Amino acid sequence: METALTKVKSEEYGGELIQLVSFNLEKEEYGINVLMVREIIRMLNITRVPNTPHYVEGVINLRGKVIPIINLRKKFDLMENDYDKRTRIMVMEVVGELMGFIVDEVSEVIRISEKEIQPPPPVVSSGIEQECMAGVINQANRLLVLLDLEKMFTADERRLFSNVG
Amino acid sequence: MAIDCEDQELLDGFLAETTELLEKLDDDLISLEKSPEDADLMNRIFRSIHTVKGASSFLGFDMLVKVTHKTEDVLNRLRKVELRLNSEIMDVILEAVDLVKTLVADIKAGEIVERDLEGTIAKLIPFLSENAVEATVLAPVFAPKEESAPAAAGAAPSTAAGPEPVSEPEPAAAESKQAAPQPAAPQQAAPPPQPKPQPVKEAAKPAPPKGGEDLADNSTVRVDVKRLDDLMNQVGELVLERNRMIQLYSDFQTGLDPTGFGDDFGKLSKRLNFVTSELQMQVLKMRMLPVEKVFKKFPRIVRNLARDLGKEVDLIIYGEETELDRSVVDEIGDPLIHLIRNALDHGLETPDERLAAGKGRTGTVVLSAAHEGNQIVISIKDDGRGINPDKIARKAIDKGLVSEEQVAAMGTREILDLIFLPGFSTKEQTTDLSGRGVGMDVVRTNIRKLNGIIEIKNELGHGSEFILKLPLTLAIIQSLLVEVEGEVYSIPLASVIETMRVSKKEFHMIGGQEVLKLRDSVLPLLRLQQAFGVSEVYTERDTCYVVIVGVAEKRIGLIVTRLLGQQEVAIKSLGKFLANLPGIGGSTIMGDGRVALIVDPIGLVGGGAA
Repeated sequence: METALTKVKSEEYGGELIQLVSFNLEKEEYGINVLMVREIIRMLNITRVPNTPHYVEGVINLRGKVIPIINLRKKFDLMENDYDKRTRIMVMEVVGELMGFIVDEVSEVIRISEKEIQPPPPVVSSGIEQECMAGVINQANRLLVLLDLEKMFTADERRLFSNVG
Repeated sequence: MAIDCEDQELLDGFLAETTELLEKLDDDLISLEKSPEDADLMNRIFRSIHTVKGASSFLGFDMLVKVTHKTEDVLNRLRKVELRLNSEIMDVILEAVDLVKTLVADIKAGEIVERDLEGTIAKLIPFLSENAVEATVLAPVFAPKEESAPAAAGAAPSTAAGPEPVSEPEPAAAESKQAAPQPAAPQQAAPPPQPKPQPVKEAAKPAPPKGGEDLADNSTVRVDVKRLDDLMNQVGELVLERNRMIQLYSDFQTGLDPTGFGDDFGKLSKRLNFVTSELQMQVLKMRMLPVEKVFKKFPRIVRNLARDLGKEVDLIIYGEETELDRSVVDEIGDPLIHLIRNALDHGLETPDERLAAGKGRTGTVVLSAAHEGNQIVISIKDDGRGINPDKIARKAIDKGLVSEEQVAAMGTREILDLIFLPGFSTKEQTTDLSGRGVGMDVVRTNIRKLNGIIEIKNELGHGSEFILKLPLTLAIIQSLLVEVEGEVYSIPLASVIETMRVSKKEFHMIGGQEVLKLRDSVLPLLRLQQAFGVSEVYTERDTCYVVIVGVAEKRIGLIVTRLLGQQEVAIKSLGKFLANLPGIGGSTIMGDGRVALIVDPIGLVGGGAA
């Protein structure tokens, strides 16, 4: 886990600094390591792919490369909503493959100290599987859930992903 | 020992040239065995070995020089008709060529390994003595002498070749046969001439068979200069068209002549279309390799197999100049080897059995390749005993691969298909040739990977034929674009047999399956809308289109809303997360930038099993 995080030496904090891209889903704020994120794009025409899990929205043409798109709301069993002008696709590299994730809105890149990451609380009210949560960041007036998408696509899930009929 | 060569370029050149020569050599040697009188062929073989020797001595590869030198000497004697070619000599020469390949592979790998040369050289030496005719008697005396002076022995025949012309070639052939093994024995018993530690020798032994095969690598391409020039021309034209386009746009922006813009743009797009398709053809051609690349190793394999099995086989090859894509060439080798092995091992009978069955002693295996539309068709045909479906069925039941009831419901074709099941084998015992039940599974897996089709033609008692139909290239295909309730899908044109517009009233139901009466046959139908879970938009229509696709012997009609037309599409992978989706073979990007999915007819027709 630690190796996956950006480490920036900082005297101010006296610990490792990591940069997170923060985004919103159903008014909750999430963070994801900036190194995972390749680019953030606006909504495009998505081609539906039959016989896939419900959270796979389809595929898009990303400058000549076809990449799958996952709706994080559906993945986390949140209420579905219509896309608006704030909706974004975050293109990330997950276990060596490019994938897009639809989120409500991308807000900013923040720097936090590694020390601020607390272990996730044992019970999560929303549908996010426990194992995708790498931790919780508690800053003065905000609470961020740090996601680990690699864990979201564990070996089991990937097999399921490809064999759904 | 690392290779010490100042000039990498020189070394690369040497490797490329040698590899090419050696590949050709195998083929030539086998042909020579069939027509030993062919002086041109003989000379060509001699020249190849001579070139390899010259180049390796120039670059200081001593081991290579040693082996090639001896081989060259033996060939020289053959050329001067001092020796009569027989299979013993050919075996030894082939062994030497294999050794040369191993050595070259070592050089290519960048590490020269000390190999056991003496064994092979010792086998060559008996054929070198000018007394090879009377070698039987002299051999034991000769052996110890040559050991101390291998170089002298090499020089001897060329100087002393004249005096003992082989006036009676018959005994020479017969006696050298016996001579071969004998001198080898004392050689091994005596201390090795090079004070090399034993372990090295042993370590080197398992390597040779592998080293030779890896020789032909596909990381570099040799392209005809003319093709390259053509390509350059095309690219030049493309640049011109681009400039024209930029010019046109800037003219349009400045509002110079807005009326002519449409016309000019139309012309431009026509020319661009022409240039890019030419370009595509050129690049495609560069990726093409003659299937000969794969075929040429088969005469050798067949020869060895036939000898091991005690069968007499004529291998006839047609159409080796047929060109296909590199990616296909790479994948096709293994399946073909398995099919040829099967033809020899299972298909052909022994000479006695053949005579008893009223056939000629010598069996025939015909390997042929040909273009057929957008496909390449490769066939392996033998005139052996054919496949007995009853026997196949029995074996499959014995092995627990299928049940009695399943077999009872099967047609001949399905029963023959059982041989492709992993674990299926008709052999009672596993030998190094066959019996593990892997071969046909490899064939099926590789051919499916290439989107190919396998057909079996079988005539009990008269032989069988395996026909492989493969696409010419894997990257770009012709496809039929169809619309399914608002969504666009692309169906590979290679598997489309026909399309028709029908009224929904013509559909019938048989046993819960929608079918269409098409001329005199009944065609099962599949609604793509249901298979792909598309929500219905056009409920009011009472006509639709049926696209009839074929996979192997199966036919199925796909119901679509509309046909959009034919287009050449470049296949894009869906990535590993979306691989193996049933019925979807990949995706492509359309003119408007949207993604269209490519239908995989195999997945739709056969499910997973066929």
